[in-house]
Amino acid sequence: MKYLYVYPEKCTGCRECSIACSLNKFGECNPKKAAITIVRDEFNRYEFPILCFQCEDPVCLKFCHQNAYQIKDGIVIRDKDKCIGCRLCATLCPYNAVTTIDDEIIKCDLCDGDPKCVKYCSTGAIQYLDETEELEKRRKNMAENFLEINKK
Amino acid sequence: MFKGKLGIIDLSKNKVTIKKTPESLKKLFFGGRGLNSYYLYKMIKPGIDPFSPENVLIFGTGFLTGTLVPNSSRFNVSAKSPETGILGDSNCGGYFAAEMRYAGFDRLIIYGKAKKPCYLYVTDNKIEIKDAGDYWGMDTTDVQQILRKDLGHVEVACCGMAGENLVRFACVRTGVKNAAGRCGLGAVMGSKHLKAIAVKGTQGIQIKHPEEMLETVEQLKEYIMNSKITSILGSVGTPLLYEVSNTLGAIRTKNSQLNAWSESLNAEEIEKHVEKMISCSSCIVHCRHRNMLGGEGPEYTAVGLLGANLGIEDPAEVIELNNVCNELGLDISSSGTILAWAFELYEKGIIDKKFTEEELGFGNFELAKKLLYKISRREGFGDILAESTKNIVRFGEKSKDYLIAVKGLPQSDPHDCRYIKAFALGIATSSRGADHLRSRPTLEIFLRLPQEVKDRIYGKGVPNDPTSYTAKEKTVYFSDNIFAVIDNLGICKFICHGFNSPHFVDYTWMKKLIHCASGWTVKEKDLEDVGKRVIDIERMFNNREGISRKDDTLPKRYFDDPMPLNLSKGHHIDRKEFDKLLTRYYKIRGWTNDGQVKKERVIELEALV
Repeated sequence: MKYLYVYPEKCTGCRECSIACSLNKFGECNPKKAAITIVRDEFNRYEFPILCFQCEDPVCLKFCHQNAYQIKDGIVIRDKDKCIGCRLCATLCPYNAVTTIDDEIIKCDLCDGDPKCVKYCSTGAIQYLDETEELEKRRKNMAENFLEINKK
Repeated sequence: MFKGKLGIIDLSKNKVTIKKTPESLKKLFFGGRGLNSYYLYKMIKPGIDPFSPENVLIFGTGFLTGTLVPNSSRFNVSAKSPETGILGDSNCGGYFAAEMRYAGFDRLIIYGKAKKPCYLYVTDNKIEIKDAGDYWGMDTTDVQQILRKDLGHVEVACCGMAGENLVRFACVRTGVKNAAGRCGLGAVMGSKHLKAIAVKGTQGIQIKHPEEMLETVEQLKEYIMNSKITSILGSVGTPLLYEVSNTLGAIRTKNSQLNAWSESLNAEEIEKHVEKMISCSSCIVHCRHRNMLGGEGPEYTAVGLLGANLGIEDPAEVIELNNVCNELGLDISSSGTILAWAFELYEKGIIDKKFTEEELGFGNFELAKKLLYKISRREGFGDILAESTKNIVRFGEKSKDYLIAVKGLPQSDPHDCRYIKAFALGIATSSRGADHLRSRPTLEIFLRLPQEVKDRIYGKGVPNDPTSYTAKEKTVYFSDNIFAVIDNLGICKFICHGFNSPHFVDYTWMKKLIHCASGWTVKEKDLEDVGKRVIDIERMFNNREGISRKDDTLPKRYFDDPMPLNLSKGHHIDRKEFDKLLTRYYKIRGWTNDGQVKKERVIELEALV
């Protein structure tokens, strides 16, 4: 299964991901109306993408009284018609990855397997990757880092 | 796309009016710099004091600012310049402009003078004039951070202490280092008792053809990312240009007494002090350095003008001076030029301790740092230096011979323009004085550029020899026009056709991007006409202030002192050849031989608007 993975150290803060998301979903350019958010503070010197991890046991789904959420092929999807707009999902999401703005609730649906945030990121700070392969890569990196530190 | 509003703020009357910009005006100028210049021409009476309440200060976003279009972060700040007394205008990146559009505003026009220090708080479709008593007296980072503490995550454009104290080269700053640096517009803020503009918006920019924009930007992004220059700029940023100019022997060194300096300031050395490269809003190039000394930068301008021009070799010291200028709200280009000028004048005995209070000299980091601080506070000799090029009157006519400035504006490009003749013509004719970002035809440096590529861009007959005067009016004419259009659109020059690359965003790309955003169908020729219109209206403003052929000239040193070092050794600007070049430039612009916009054109443009 493919999911979104984030590399904050590569994020430059430009927000093309959020703007592409809002343009794709709402026909407007608005980084605050997107399923992905870049938290950035140039004075405290960081850029950090926040997005939905498509949890296997998602809080948004579990606490939705209207059963507006369902998991389809590993993606947590919100049914607009069932949703009453109470914003409980956004309030409870442990990662603050559900956006609410202008009576809209915006939840990442991975753009039917072609996530726009990934496509418009110019540094590879957000990547759409197979979970098994990505984990293998991350483990290998970690092991190598560990061995490097151990040498010192 | 066209919901963006025009905020008009009369600080004397404490009054805010919100209007719409007529669509017909947008078709003539699109936005950004062009529309700002139009309003300056229309609203400012000739001869006014730039520090008087009559001066008009404009913050104008570009037509495509804040959209998915790559590098669309830009806005222009414009007013009559207190440094030059002519058109003042400065382009700036960061996050402020995009946020201003998300708050629903394309442009803010500010005039009058507030009784007490104030700031503007701009939120969704609303502008409030608020008391800035608590913020007055703060340096640029402090005021931005405290505004965020008080108002939430706002984006701020502010002036520093230099602006409050009416230093004639005070900048407008946003973020850690983005600045509308040139022409002393921070001092215009100070003169109006306007400390800052804080913006916070939640509205989007409605796009006429969203899918078309997604597709077009995907193609454009690929095109730009595949260029070698993009990855170099994204890894080392503009300091890359230092080595290029230095090898040529065209780095302004010690007030242009020399033309080459230490390799210790090459990009690879600067890079050692960089923690991470970051972006402005929507930018895919990410050329901004987050340095390890607590700030951002340095750009090539800082490396050259706070390094070589001051005789400083240590990159850490240059970066610290860069950070100091940003904190105090001083324009780096003017700061580095004015300090170097004073140092040489002191060495030559043209000024003495009566003015300077202490010994001056090149290569003294502590002295430079102290003087920058004193300029911002207008203390002692700093109070004098704060007057910038106006000091010719104080220092005596002889001092003028050593000043690297045009029309009262210290030269921004650290590039010594004696070698590349097109650069020389560019700074001599730029609408704001000695500035490279109006027309720098950087391609002149690329000696191996095939002739057919040059012909295609500039038209036939431009030789590949940068020292030749032949047809160089064509390179400046082309660049002037297209850079004006890119400024109108709010896109960074880094991805503009002909700036750093013979590729990138040309009129055809612009046409496509404009269509996606607005649905407007324009032709390449229409866009070029927009550029010409901007150049003409800016010239009309300057003509009205008395600018003519006599002012389109160069620092004396560029004419009379041959360059001493490296490849460019022996080169200088020939007065006669330069004069002929200028005549050809006027001709291609359609101006009179005295550098005036012709009466018919003035009538035509005034009628259009």
